[in-house]
Amino acid sequence: MTRDARGWHMALVPDALVNPPDLARAALPDVLGILATGGYGVLQLPPPGEHGVLLAVIADQVAEYAHHGYAVVAVGVRGKPGGDLHWRRLAPLLRHRGVALPPRYLIRPDGDAAAEAERFALFLSSYDLPVEEQRRWRV
Amino acid sequence: MTRAIKGETPAAEPDAPRKVALIAHCLLNQNAKVCEGARYPGVVSPVVEALRSRGYLLLQLPCPELAFAGARRWWAVYEQYDTPAYRAHCRRLAQGIAPLIEQHLRRGAEVILIGLDGSPSTGVRFTSSRPDWGGRPNRPDDDWEIVARPGVWIEELEAELKRRGLPPLPATGWALDMGRFDEAGSRRDLEEFLESREVAAGEHGDDSAP
Repeated sequence: MTRDARGWHMALVPDALVNPPDLARAALPDVLGILATGGYGVLQLPPPGEHGVLLAVIADQVAEYAHHGYAVVAVGVRGKPGGDLHWRRLAPLLRHRGVALPPRYLIRPDGDAAAEAERFALFLSSYDLPVEEQRRWRV
Repeated sequence: MTRAIKGETPAAEPDAPRKVALIAHCLLNQNAKVCEGARYPGVVSPVVEALRSRGYLLLQLPCPELAFAGARRWWAVYEQYDTPAYRAHCRRLAQGIAPLIEQHLRRGAEVILIGLDGSPSTGVRFTSSRPDWGGRPNRPDDDWEIVARPGVWIEELEAELKRRGLPPLPATGWALDMGRFDEAGSRRDLEEFLESREVAAGEHGDDSAP
């Protein structure tokens, strides 16, 4: 085995941003590409609908990460209910597992995509856990 | 290529996605790997780029190991995960993701699976094996063997799809967990698989290939 390369950062991302519809693509930054460049992993949320088991498993995973030194954010779509993040279902599931809700960044789908990409990249690069938490886990 | 579902004539809807790639969780999130197993910070970009450039939508599978044994789990081989409790856990996850797969197939989409070869759970063509692993985790590096069979999670996922009357998915694995990782070789392997899908789509007169 070689040195571990994990970035200790990840983002909850709605399906609509992982797989943006053709018509919306030009107006959106390349969220997946920006996350990859920023060293973030992705926890893809299912498309709108009832996905009880999947959301429960995602909440379990976020709890596991949050309790072991990983920085988790949520990236939604401005103007969509709950940011397209299943927030009404996911937030109580996270609270029930003793997890503080991850900071949310809402992508503006109707502005200057390049400027939005810059803002989003800045948000990602500026977020991390407190240094004591990093030192405790990231060895 | 559109796969036939038993008793149905699949018809692609005009607005429906026609190419969907189910991908192993850790191909989008390397933080899910066991300690020392992550080869990328987060997203495995070569896989994502290869799929997106060919017009595939991405559908990330849950990570059964992380949800079952946690972020600080030990390394393990197929035999250690081949337990009734872990298989039940995988079946529950399969029942959670299968409706999305079924929906895509019933809309006439081509659905492929990209797993993680060498993984005890998500291996597609190969998994790691060592029947005598157990007890104190003090085995030397590369003490396991690679065997030609799927991992436990893929076995349970395929069983759930079969139970629903869905066809087997064309599948391959990114060879991240085969001992020594060869990114260039893995990339060639994936490209060959994706090209074979395009050839198959052409032979079947399907217009889903770009």
